[in-house]
Amino acid sequence: MTDVLFELKNVHFSYLGRYQALCGIDIAIEKGQRVAVIGANGSGKSTLLHLLDGLIFPDKGSVRSFGAELSEETLADEKRNHDFRRKVGLVFQNPDIQLFCPTVKEEVMFGPLNFGLDHITITSAFNSIMDLFDIKELSGRMPHQLSIGEKRKVAMASVLISSPDVLLLDEPTAGLDPKTSRDLVALLNRYHSEGRTIVTATHDMHIVEEIADVVYVFSRDKKIIRSGPPAEIMSDIRFLQENNLIHIHAHAHGDKTHVHPHDHPSHEHDHKSSV
Amino acid sequence: MERSIMGALSFLKESVFSDEYASQHGFLQSIDPRMKLVVCAVFLLTVLFTHSTLVSLCLYMVCLALTYYSKIGVGFFLKRTWIFIPLFSFFIAVPALFSIFTPGDPIAVFKILGLKLVITRQGLSGALLFVTRVTTSVSFAVVLSMTTKHFELLKALRTFKIPQVFIMTIGMCYRYIYLFVEVVENTHQAIKSRIGRRVHYKKGQHIVAWNIAALWFRSYQMNEAVYGAMVSRGYGGEPIVLNDFKTRPRDWVLLFFAGLVSLTLLYLGDKLKFGIL
Repeated sequence: MTDVLFELKNVHFSYLGRYQALCGIDIAIEKGQRVAVIGANGSGKSTLLHLLDGLIFPDKGSVRSFGAELSEETLADEKRNHDFRRKVGLVFQNPDIQLFCPTVKEEVMFGPLNFGLDHITITSAFNSIMDLFDIKELSGRMPHQLSIGEKRKVAMASVLISSPDVLLLDEPTAGLDPKTSRDLVALLNRYHSEGRTIVTATHDMHIVEEIADVVYVFSRDKKIIRSGPPAEIMSDIRFLQENNLIHIHAHAHGDKTHVHPHDHPSHEHDHKSSV
Repeated sequence: MERSIMGALSFLKESVFSDEYASQHGFLQSIDPRMKLVVCAVFLLTVLFTHSTLVSLCLYMVCLALTYYSKIGVGFFLKRTWIFIPLFSFFIAVPALFSIFTPGDPIAVFKILGLKLVITRQGLSGALLFVTRVTTSVSFAVVLSMTTKHFELLKALRTFKIPQVFIMTIGMCYRYIYLFVEVVENTHQAIKSRIGRRVHYKKGQHIVAWNIAALWFRSYQMNEAVYGAMVSRGYGGEPIVLNDFKTRPRDWVLLFFAGLVSLTLLYLGDKLKFGIL
């Protein structure tokens, strides 16, 4: 029997009771699974992650996590709340939201300190994570002195330092240069090899096949329109185009201009469509 | 309007968010911020309790010496502090010179628009004491803020048992003010790029009002999101933050000297007051 960590059944959510953000979502996330959530802007990806992190709760439908109901009432229990927060970590889309402490060091240590870990454990975890992200020299800096890439690394470090079992990532590669994006993918796969569950909401079609075992595609009307293995979904070019996930790209090779879908996992492509 | 906005933003960035002097390797920068805060409090209390202008001036000299050894240009420091001093002192001190407010022995009499004004010895003495007190107090406050990073200063306030949640809230305000300064700057550039430099003042007022509303809405949204980010990482109503201050022997030596200097000056000031010295 599989170990289901999150189970969403017919989940509906709206902001201010008016702006629908999720409509009838059914998802089951198993332990150790890598899930990618893709969809156009405003399709409800971030809302889903906030829901999985117990920051918002559905208007209708049910969310279960670690075998128990996940609701405002259940999280009001201090022990349950503490256990849940330790097990689930969310990296926000906007790092400026996540970096609320005055310095990088305090930011990274905020989680473990508030989880009540002892000083020796925190110091050791801090040194490891700063080495891992190669951001040791940023330790004393203030958030406004960081570049967007550095902010994103610090935001990741501030969540990963607590070693959550489930990692929720909202657009982790947005604003990162190609090399840092590659490093991030490698890091996520390393975390996955340690048995962690990773849920990533992304627009970056280049990384989907590498970071996911299963892909959920969200439509503009806030519903899941398709799910399945990444290879199957990523090879359906027409489906991706219809859902604003790739576009037709025109460019020149010497004196010839040709068009093809913007995203191509391997960089080779034919020139049949040359114009 | 443009000059006012950009000038205010630039002043805010340079004066509030610049850690240029706090990052120098000077004397006060090497002191534990908690101890620095206590030492400044000791000097400020001494200024408050003394009734001697000379003692206040001596403490001002101590402050300037600390400034010099903290690698802050004394000329720059004087310029910075003397911007505020007239604001806080002259407008109060000048009326106190005259017999209307401080009766006593006249030392100068003159007429303005037929009104007879008398400067009294007691008035002059009181005004001088007030100005030197303000000068010294403002100088200590400025040297403390210039040689200490703002977040260290806030954390050091814990020494005085100020609740952690209060300190953290101020720290976060500070953090996000910078972000909103950038938003205002970018919005201003975006408006300028779309509608050009010349805008009718009424239109300008409308744009500013609209932007204030938009900024308020953004800050409200961010407020909720930041709270979510805190909760997500274990915040449960009482924040626990890092305390990595370390007190070294030189910090205790400074505190000892501050106490010694203050007590000596208070004693001498007391003697001066009674005319023994």
